[in-house]
Amino acid sequence: MNPYQVLGVSETASETEIKNAYRELAKKYHPDNYAGSPLADVAEQKMKEINEAYDTICDMRRNSSSANHTDSASYNNSSYTYSSFSDVRRLIKEGRLDDAMQILNGVTAANRNAEWHFLMGMIFSRKGWNEQAYSYFQTACRMDPSNQEFMSALNNMNARRTYNPGGYNTVGTGGCSMCDICTGLMCMNCCCDCCGGNGCC
Amino acid sequence: MFGFVTVDKSEMLYKDFEAYKAVYCSLCKQLGKEYTFLSRFILSYDCTFYAVLALALEKDCPGFCKGRCKVNPLKKCSFLIHGEEALSKAAALSVISVYYKLLDNIADGGFFEKIGCCILKPFFSNWRKKASLKYPEIDNAVKTMSDSQFEVEKDVHCGIDKAAEPTATMLSTVLKLLIINDAKNSVMQKTVISNFGYFLGKWIYLMDAAVDFESDIKRGNFNPYVISYGDDYNSKVDDINSSLDYCLSEAFLSYNLLELNHFKSIIENLLIHGLPKKQKSILYKEEKIAE
Repeated sequence: MNPYQVLGVSETASETEIKNAYRELAKKYHPDNYAGSPLADVAEQKMKEINEAYDTICDMRRNSSSANHTDSASYNNSSYTYSSFSDVRRLIKEGRLDDAMQILNGVTAANRNAEWHFLMGMIFSRKGWNEQAYSYFQTACRMDPSNQEFMSALNNMNARRTYNPGGYNTVGTGGCSMCDICTGLMCMNCCCDCCGGNGCC
Repeated sequence: MFGFVTVDKSEMLYKDFEAYKAVYCSLCKQLGKEYTFLSRFILSYDCTFYAVLALALEKDCPGFCKGRCKVNPLKKCSFLIHGEEALSKAAALSVISVYYKLLDNIADGGFFEKIGCCILKPFFSNWRKKASLKYPEIDNAVKTMSDSQFEVEKDVHCGIDKAAEPTATMLSTVLKLLIINDAKNSVMQKTVISNFGYFLGKWIYLMDAAVDFESDIKRGNFNPYVISYGDDYNSKVDDINSSLDYCLSEAFLSYNLLELNHFKSIIENLLIHGLPKKQKSILYKEEKIAE
């Protein structure tokens, strides 16, 4: 597939245009936006396409921006946390939600820890049963308030419970917090440019 | 469906509004052509949206022409030149969904409602038969919804998600029909549009539940919000709002992954302005009346 088409730019586009197009799309399809959504996999695939297209164009043009794009694939954080439910996690990842649910339902009430609630939440969230998912995530966070993974799942859900269409368009106003490494680097670069290097922070 | 899926005219460009109106008028014309003159009166904004989405996924632009409104001959309208297939699907969805709504009303409506619906039933039954011959999948999807809704409502502890599942699944199935099988990315696009339909359907169902909150309490009818949140509307309206917002957020995320060829600005207007505005006006206006 034509990488220019993937980014929606013409083959004669300037480096900045390509960078901007990539940045816009990366923000739109960023996995953080889709965390826990039934479309998480599709968004990830789309992100991969964009990264590949951007990499290809950069390789083809072989100019200085290649330093940036090597970071682009790093959005995919595969941070491994110790889990007593690794089989359930694997099933959820593979999209076998019913199988995962069956295993979890077999767990005795005494062993239903915070992670159990979190994973139940994940399954319901993937299924589109957001209200159920929400209450499971809340329980998981109540049982283990220090767990980052549970907390971020709940935060994602809370973010979506306030409908803010096109919210990703507002990044220019200093909101780099939602960007991770790849877009973060670019945003920083951009912010510094805007302020003429006078130190905005 | 219940007429919640409307555009926000004030946020729309004139050309978009003209195009939207042309789809609306063409759908009306299609209903008259395929069914009878009477069937024009079941025209709804929900099915217009279905037609817009169907046309948006088609490769070629339908094109526009001028004509006269059959219902009000003094009015001039724009019509689409092409897009027959999309309009025909939307017309079928209109008559099929109205037929099952009618059955539903006969089953649990008031006395006069029942009589009225029984008188109308033969007409609708005829149209539905015709539509289901052409699009058996649509008929099947709506019938499944109607049946499983009946099952779901038997559960006295039915949660919000479970209650909304039949409608959500129906719209998901019906929208999936719009993707042509051998098209580029069709597998991915089917997943995307089916999620879009799921959450839009859920939103529509839950909006209806929110509208009926008070009257369902009075009549003792099934209402998922009453089951989950209790019977005090005013204290729970923000929770209802959040649950509806979530559906729109998911629908919008799906929309971002959807590959459309036309009418993007109309659909964006709907998602960004039309639906949330409708939601706010219905949820918070009712609160005032209740006070």
